[in-house]
Amino acid sequence: MTAPRSWWKVRPGHFSAGVALLPLALIVLVAYVGTVLWTLRVSLTNARTFPSDVYVGLAQYERLFQNERWLLSLNNLALYGLLFISLSIALGLLLAVFIDQKVRGEGLLRTVFLYPYAMSFVATGLVWQWLLNPELGLQNAVQALGFAGVQFDWIVDQDKVMYTIVLATVWQASGFVMALLLAGLRSIDAQIWNAARIDGIPTWQVYVFIVLPMLGESIATVFVLLLTATVKLFDAVVSMTQGGPGNASEVPAKFIMDHLFGRANLALASAGSVVLLLTVLALVAPLLYARSRYHRRGERL
Amino acid sequence: MLKFACIAASALTFTVGSVHAAGPKAEVIHWWTSGGESAAVKTLADAYTNAGGVWVDTAIALGEQARSVAVNRILGGNPPTAAQFNTSKQFLDLVEQGMLNPIDNVAQQQGWDKLLPETVLSVVRVKGHYYAAPVNIHMPTWIWYSKAAFKQAGIGAEPKTVDELFAVLDKLRAAGLVPLAHGGQPWQDNIVFTAVLANVGGTELYLKVLRDKDRQAIEGEAFKKVLLSFKRLQSYTDKGSPGRNWNDATSMLIAGKAGVQIMGDWAKGEFAQAHQSPGKDFGCIAGFGAKSPYIIQGDVFVFPKTSDPQAIKAQQLLAGVMLAPVTQVAFSNKKGSIPVRTDVDVSSMDLCAQQGLAIMKDKSRHLGNGEIYMSPDQNGALTDILTAYWNKNQPVEKVQKDIAAALKN
Amino acid sequence: MSGRIPVARWGIYFFLLGAALFFLLPAYVMLVTSLKSMDEIRLGRIFALPGLLTAEPWISAWSGACTGLNCEGIRGGFWNSVAIAIPSTVLPILLGALNGYALSFWRPRGSQTLFAVLMAGAFIPAQVMMYPLIQILAALGIFGSLVGIVLVHTIFSMPVMTLLFRNYYVSIPTELFHAARIDGGGFYRIFFELVLPMSVPIVTVAAIMQITGVWNDYILGLVFAGREHLPMTVQLNNIINTTTGTRLYNVNMAATILTSLVPLAVYFASGRWFVRGITAGALKG
Repeated sequence: MTAPRSWWKVRPGHFSAGVALLPLALIVLVAYVGTVLWTLRVSLTNARTFPSDVYVGLAQYERLFQNERWLLSLNNLALYGLLFISLSIALGLLLAVFIDQKVRGEGLLRTVFLYPYAMSFVATGLVWQWLLNPELGLQNAVQALGFAGVQFDWIVDQDKVMYTIVLATVWQASGFVMALLLAGLRSIDAQIWNAARIDGIPTWQVYVFIVLPMLGESIATVFVLLLTATVKLFDAVVSMTQGGPGNASEVPAKFIMDHLFGRANLALASAGSVVLLLTVLALVAPLLYARSRYHRRGERL
Repeated sequence: MLKFACIAASALTFTVGSVHAAGPKAEVIHWWTSGGESAAVKTLADAYTNAGGVWVDTAIALGEQARSVAVNRILGGNPPTAAQFNTSKQFLDLVEQGMLNPIDNVAQQQGWDKLLPETVLSVVRVKGHYYAAPVNIHMPTWIWYSKAAFKQAGIGAEPKTVDELFAVLDKLRAAGLVPLAHGGQPWQDNIVFTAVLANVGGTELYLKVLRDKDRQAIEGEAFKKVLLSFKRLQSYTDKGSPGRNWNDATSMLIAGKAGVQIMGDWAKGEFAQAHQSPGKDFGCIAGFGAKSPYIIQGDVFVFPKTSDPQAIKAQQLLAGVMLAPVTQVAFSNKKGSIPVRTDVDVSSMDLCAQQGLAIMKDKSRHLGNGEIYMSPDQNGALTDILTAYWNKNQPVEKVQKDIAAALKN
Repeated sequence: MSGRIPVARWGIYFFLLGAALFFLLPAYVMLVTSLKSMDEIRLGRIFALPGLLTAEPWISAWSGACTGLNCEGIRGGFWNSVAIAIPSTVLPILLGALNGYALSFWRPRGSQTLFAVLMAGAFIPAQVMMYPLIQILAALGIFGSLVGIVLVHTIFSMPVMTLLFRNYYVSIPTELFHAARIDGGGFYRIFFELVLPMSVPIVTVAAIMQITGVWNDYILGLVFAGREHLPMTVQLNNIINTTTGTRLYNVNMAATILTSLVPLAVYFASGRWFVRGITAGALKG
């Protein structure tokens, strides 16, 4: 290891690196930190359509946690996040690995798996609503084919509607997960495969014990991306179920948006945003901390 | 002689030039984006152009979105000349923050106080000043029925009371049709509730609950009956109703697969597109009883604050043009609404509109939609409770308590 | 992989084709709907092939559908979308690569904290940042301009772009980097001569992400781009969404497919960069 660095001995490369990061630091400070502080301030007021200077302490937060719709939205998000992230990664990984096997028509298949990602959910959400509607969609079609007992009416069932949102969003996201993991797979040295073959290790073991760990960073990236998508889940819910039946598929982002625009209640929406952000940070911070310690062990320079 | 000719020539050029100079430019934000709505907004744009103005169109789909863009533009220092809102308390915050220009001249000149229904005036006029130009009146709680479906279920006459309505729904169910075509979206649930409150509860209870937010009335027996009737209607909807768009519910009537739908007068557009006409293929019922209320909803335009004289000129011209009798009829014909003025020639309007206009002549039957009496936040909270009750089995007393608490804010 | 057992090979194709069916099902419904007349659609048989095939919805979507007073379809916003998308892809990718590089190899003091805060920012929904950003851009005099919307897109994409590149670079062995430094490479030289060339796969992925995100963006373009630069998605939304207007589902589907053709073309063209061996060569020796 190198000798401990003193702050006044900054080497030229590090200086350039610092300077290069300045625009980012500026953006982070002004746009992100500034916005969060502003949102925090507004959440402590009684702002309606416009920001206000009348402070009401934690009244908005009290109202938030007495709101059944908000509490349900948090529950839904937790359930959704768990399923969406794990299924997208699983499906994306399987697709990436299988496509990597020198398959014929790889280009075509890749586009087939990626195209959902290219389409805005405003229209595809409606299509999924039709597909999952018991009268119009798959249940009707399968029953018409003769399988009278088949039920697939999750979308009108208050307890199962969130699964339909998982289905539609996994459909949209796993193609992109596949693309990211494929890029990671393709950057693995071909020598690994040769060496494994020479050693006689079965292919599946190579994947599980050698390749998967090497994909660690890619999977971590995917995880964070899917997590941000989870927290911002909005379009799919609005175009598929409008938060229904009733409020059964409500999610925090939709709650916040509804109160920001439709209800002209800036303060409550801000309180919701703060709570959402803090919840996510509380969950993610330990993970990030653990990873940064893992990296520090392999310190460079 | 030549000098005189030169002066005359330049004077002529000046006159001709000023005729060709562009009239007051008005950028208008609105959310009328579908085909029928586009034809309607064209009548406004044409009227404005004929009066010498230049209409710059900024259409943004969905009311919430369009309104928030208007507010954002005002905040960003780049306001439009006019922005669409609903006849409601939505723009009250804007008024209170001093962000709108009043149009008192136009209101006084055209005599709005005598021309417009009191319900509309109550939101358009704030502290004696006029801040919005209303363009139409929509009625959200019409009861539509498919004549084909009625025939199939052996229903002879249209229902005249609430009990007869339930009997009709039972008959439709027995005939294997969907009794009530409904789209399970919160705003549509709210419409059904409004219809039930108006028809089962009556005008007095309606005002006590929504306008006065009287706790006793909300937790009383009469309102309980309203809520129970509301919930009872839910049993007449089909399984695919949650999330359904209102147009798809109307399609069920058009195809004769369903009997009844409770929806606003804009549904006429959907029927018209399928080449169905009122009285022949479908019927429209405004309410039950000789004194049933006519629920008033509508669209208005507000004028963001500006001190630019050209912009102010445009705003005044726009407001005047929108309330002109010819424009009113032309617009409402295309929009499916009825004019907001009571003194216009309406012989060209369709059957259902004529029915509505006849009812509007009776001032005692004017009743505002919820958003006229409640703030957007209260209306939203009420809708949350209604939609939860519609979809889940809850004791009605709990619903009453929740509503009382929500409206207390 | 050579020497595969045929059974496993069949298994792979079976899985891939099955997955393809799942992925293509909504596309089938969209396509079929876009080729029907509204009368047919009203019958509610979503899987049925069109009884009477019509291309009218497509023509209408491109050039005739109403989006407000104007009924000119989505074509009006096409070039606006291009004008927004290109700088909003190139700039964030460059910045993301530079930032990721600085954060992974050099790690100047405080940069890890910066990265952590940046990551936290990725979880803030855009609408929440709206008001403050409007004030800031208005103060800078660029609210409602092309520069403004590109800046906004850059701001919102910083967390993801930086994350993508940083994580990618972190998994590259450090020996290469040390070797380059010993050879006398400085910050920028190493970036342009070593790191950027080996970033092709991740730049491809970043480009896919960014183009898709910016091309399909609605809310940011609506608020920040100004009336003259409104992207195609505004017209698309105006065609699809309406509160009390009639809905022409066939036109909506056609319009959606048309709008998505640009990102799709990018995906298809990006194929050649998913090729193995780009970095393998660089890692040897």
